[in-house]
Amino acid sequence: MINHETELKVQAFLDGELSAAEAAQIGELITRDPEAGSLIADLKATSALLNGNEPELPVPESREFYWSRIHRQIELHEQRAAAVDSGEAIPPGWVRFLAPAGALIALAVFVAVSLRSPEGGSPILARDDGHEIETPLEETSSFSFRSEAAAMTVVWVDSHRE
Amino acid sequence: MKRPVPFWRLKLAAAVAFLFCSLTLRSTPADLNLRAQLVWGTNNEKPDDPKLQDVDPQVKEKLRGVFKWKNYFEVNRQNFTVTTSGSKKVKMSDLCQIEIQNLGGSSIEVKLYGNGKMVVRKTQKIKPNELLVLAGDDKNDTAWFVVLTQMEK
Repeated sequence: MINHETELKVQAFLDGELSAAEAAQIGELITRDPEAGSLIADLKATSALLNGNEPELPVPESREFYWSRIHRQIELHEQRAAAVDSGEAIPPGWVRFLAPAGALIALAVFVAVSLRSPEGGSPILARDDGHEIETPLEETSSFSFRSEAAAMTVVWVDSHRE
Repeated sequence: MKRPVPFWRLKLAAAVAFLFCSLTLRSTPADLNLRAQLVWGTNNEKPDDPKLQDVDPQVKEKLRGVFKWKNYFEVNRQNFTVTTSGSKKVKMSDLCQIEIQNLGGSSIEVKLYGNGKMVVRKTQKIKPNELLVLAGDDKNDTAWFVVLTQMEK
């Protein structure tokens, strides 16, 4: 049984890619080994089949025109890539400073305004967690809880009634 | 193929948008239409008192789902509007009064007064279809409830 390397050499023999010494060696193998002979016969048949039946697809344009279009597409792609690279150049220093500084100022304004005390006016944004409870009387106490199921917030006042 | 926007421009646009939103996206200042109900809860049957009305079924079921009492009767009901940044005092009974302040952004401050003294103060966001209930126990294993609801516009 011939190995894969020998199979490749048989194929190379058929394609005329072997040196004279190797070609003689493989030629001798083909005549001696039926398996090698069968392989070369199959390869020859396949090659003949492909050579005789390979479809030819003619390019509608001339060869020069066809390749010139490809060439223009490559040039266009390279020009666009260069333009993108130049567009991502480092921005001026003031812009690099302005972007983060603007974001910080916006954040500071947002926090200051949204957390502003309602004293003297309504806050622009009410705090979501601004739930406060106070029970000033000593003889009373209170606690708060929420029932999500009932969509209800309860403040229970305990008057320590006997 | 469109030329992509440089990243620094995106960052600048995001900062400007954030600043704009923080200054303009305020909670719409709006008057609050509220309903306050003084409710009495008991395990006994309805007493022979014409002032007592059955609580609407939706509120009754919610109260039943949270508290131990089986029956709830409405003693008084007040519908009122609290203007933006304004406050409103509402008398619920001879002994009970509430004061609501509209803090904006659907937040309110509720003060409950009993016998003229402030008993509790609560700051809370209020939403339609949600209840804010101030409650406490009463004599003979009964309870009182002040149920605040934001009315749909």
